Amino acid sequence: MLRAIVSLLKTLNSETEPGQISLALCFSMIVGFTPVFSLHNLLVFLLVLVLRVNLSTFILGLILFSGVAYLLDPIFHLIGLAVLTSSGLEGLWTAFYNMTLLRLAKFNNSIVMGSFLFSLVLFAPLYFIANKIIMQYREYVLAWVQKTRIMQAFKATKLYNVFATYSQLRGGV
Amino acid sequence: MKWIRWQGLITFVVLLLFVIVAWFLFVDVAVKKIIESKGTKLVKAKVELADADLSIFPLGLFLTGLEVANPDAPMTNAFQVDRVALSLEGAKLLRRKVIFKEMTLEGVKLNTPRKTSGAISEKRSRIPVVSKESSEEKMKWPSFKIPDVKEILQKEKLQSLELIASFRGDLQKEKEKWQSRLAQLPDKNKLGEYQKKINRLKSGKQRGLEGILGGAREVLTLQKELSRDLDLIKTAQKELGQNMTSLRKRMAEVKKAPQEDLRRLKEKYSPSPEGMANASRLFFGKKVGNWTETFLNWYKKLGPILERVKERKHGREVVKPTRGKGVDVRFKEQEAYPDFLIQIAHVAIEIPAGLVKGQVRNITPDQDILGAPLMYEVAGVNLTGIASLKIDGSLNHVDPFSAKDTANILIRGYDVSDMDLSSDAELPIVLKRATADLEARVTIAGETLKANSLIVLKSVNMGTPNEEDTNSLMKALFSVISDIKAFDLKSEISGTIQDYDLKLSSNLDNVLKDAVKKQVKAQAVQFEKRLLLVIQEKVGGSMADLETTIGGLGSIGSELMARSHFGDELFKRSRKSGSGAMKLPL
Repeated sequence: MLRAIVSLLKTLNSETEPGQISLALCFSMIVGFTPVFSLHNLLVFLLVLVLRVNLSTFILGLILFSGVAYLLDPIFHLIGLAVLTSSGLEGLWTAFYNMTLLRLAKFNNSIVMGSFLFSLVLFAPLYFIANKIIMQYREYVLAWVQKTRIMQAFKATKLYNVFATYSQLRGGV
Repeated sequence: MKWIRWQGLITFVVLLLFVIVAWFLFVDVAVKKIIESKGTKLVKAKVELADADLSIFPLGLFLTGLEVANPDAPMTNAFQVDRVALSLEGAKLLRRKVIFKEMTLEGVKLNTPRKTSGAISEKRSRIPVVSKESSEEKMKWPSFKIPDVKEILQKEKLQSLELIASFRGDLQKEKEKWQSRLAQLPDKNKLGEYQKKINRLKSGKQRGLEGILGGAREVLTLQKELSRDLDLIKTAQKELGQNMTSLRKRMAEVKKAPQEDLRRLKEKYSPSPEGMANASRLFFGKKVGNWTETFLNWYKKLGPILERVKERKHGREVVKPTRGKGVDVRFKEQEAYPDFLIQIAHVAIEIPAGLVKGQVRNITPDQDILGAPLMYEVAGVNLTGIASLKIDGSLNHVDPFSAKDTANILIRGYDVSDMDLSSDAELPIVLKRATADLEARVTIAGETLKANSLIVLKSVNMGTPNEEDTNSLMKALFSVISDIKAFDLKSEISGTIQDYDLKLSSNLDNVLKDAVKKQVKAQAVQFEKRLLLVIQEKVGGSMADLETTIGGLGSIGSELMARSHFGDELFKRSRKSGSGAMKLPL
């Protein structure tokens, strides 16, 4: 866990594209919010591995969103149930229900449907907001942190030297 | 910046392969654990499996060493199965439908002993089954000894004594009231004064018109006063008469009370052959009650297998998934299939008498979707001690609102031996040998239970383990019992599965009742005489007291009557004297 946080900090502080971090966060939101052994998550995992997104961010995001999902389950259930029982969409769902692949995806479960829709709706806003925050962080916070006396003092310690050496050995930036 | 990393695809494939391999390695263990945990939760006792093997080609599941503990007897397995083979429909599985085309259960054994307890720590919420029979389990054989009358009267209150005490109190109050009232009424002295006045008026000579008129006025005044006093006496006399009628009525009731006590105590304690009219219930009631209760407890456990809880939300049917959260919303399927179905199960049950083989069709919690009920049929194969055995029926929950389950049981030539019919110390009876034929039909419609059975026992040999240690009455009874060569037993169960009424009848009842009737009747007469004597002893004295007190009230009545007659006489005389006073001296 600690290693993942350090890795995230390093990523944030590195020259990694903000989009790579934000996209990882968005993918982790889908996997974290929806039941992990859902069929659509297989596709998300494939995208996470094939697209050049930041894996540390994805793992950390996954942990974070999975935890939050427990609290949001009642909301997911309500959303899913409302969508699945909507009379206007009945034809669509009936067609889906008779498709083997979608039955495997368990789309007719209120929590699967609710959490998936919730994640999809938040996907794009989260991407842009995260991008903005990362850029702001790098521009203001990071520069300010580097200049603080505490950071200067920390950089002078042996612990920091050990950490920096370890990072270099691990191929860190 | 490049957005694609092709090595990620390789990683994905490797990870996927890893997951598939892991699935293959651990799926058997997972299946085993799922069956054990689900089964334990369902049965509320340990369900254990020696091994589970999921095969892909052909798709199927093989279970070995399945043991299901009996929740009511944790050191016993309700049943154990040596081997279960299930063949799965792969195409349906992709649509999340677990359809077993065929299931074969081999080496099914019932009530086998366990090495370890099958109890689980979870508190079992067993729904109590209340049968009227179970409340009558305490019913005992009628005692053929004459009960001790004195002992009975020590613990029983005599209602006649209570009635006497209450009546005595009322009578005493009445007596005091009348004595005081009598004292207030005009007595002989007062009436004597009237007499004197009348005599004086009669003998007196009035002079002149003034004297005559004065005498007439005096007579009128006297008549008025006498009439008023007479009214008082007559009213009191009338009231007393009414009171006496009511008191005599009560006295008659009090006199009847000892007879009522006698009837009540006789009914309760007198030796009666009627007790033998329930012999079939005493012989078989507890056994049939226990069988029914066991059957119903297992039937209730079948509930979740037969019917799944389905709700409707926003007009759509939703079912709670067995695992996970949320609800699964159902939509119309082109080819409707239940989520879980065993199309046919072949069963071979090993019972002490041999092998019972049969089939169960359509095992599913979604009969409404399948549109067909669960059907079962088993029959004995070359059984020892049973000529033939056949059980069939259906569990029809196609329409959950009018569910109807039936069972038909037909057993021919079942050899019964050494069955304890009565463990009562006074009347131990053993069915040493018999051949039984049984026909039974059980119907459960919703919560309503209805069952009828007829057992015909032939070549009967009944007796008692200790025939020497019995009195003459028992000997007579045992002699009749040993002569019985055949009898039947009819049972009828009606009510609900929670609260049912069990009725048992047999031609054995009348045979036994007739056998003891004469002896018991003689004992009853003896008991009645003793009881009557003791009751009379207890109430006799008090009854005489009451009679005396009523007699006392009668004397008040006589006194009132005497005063009334005297008054009437005086009134007549006053009228005569009045007419004399009016004579003019012309």
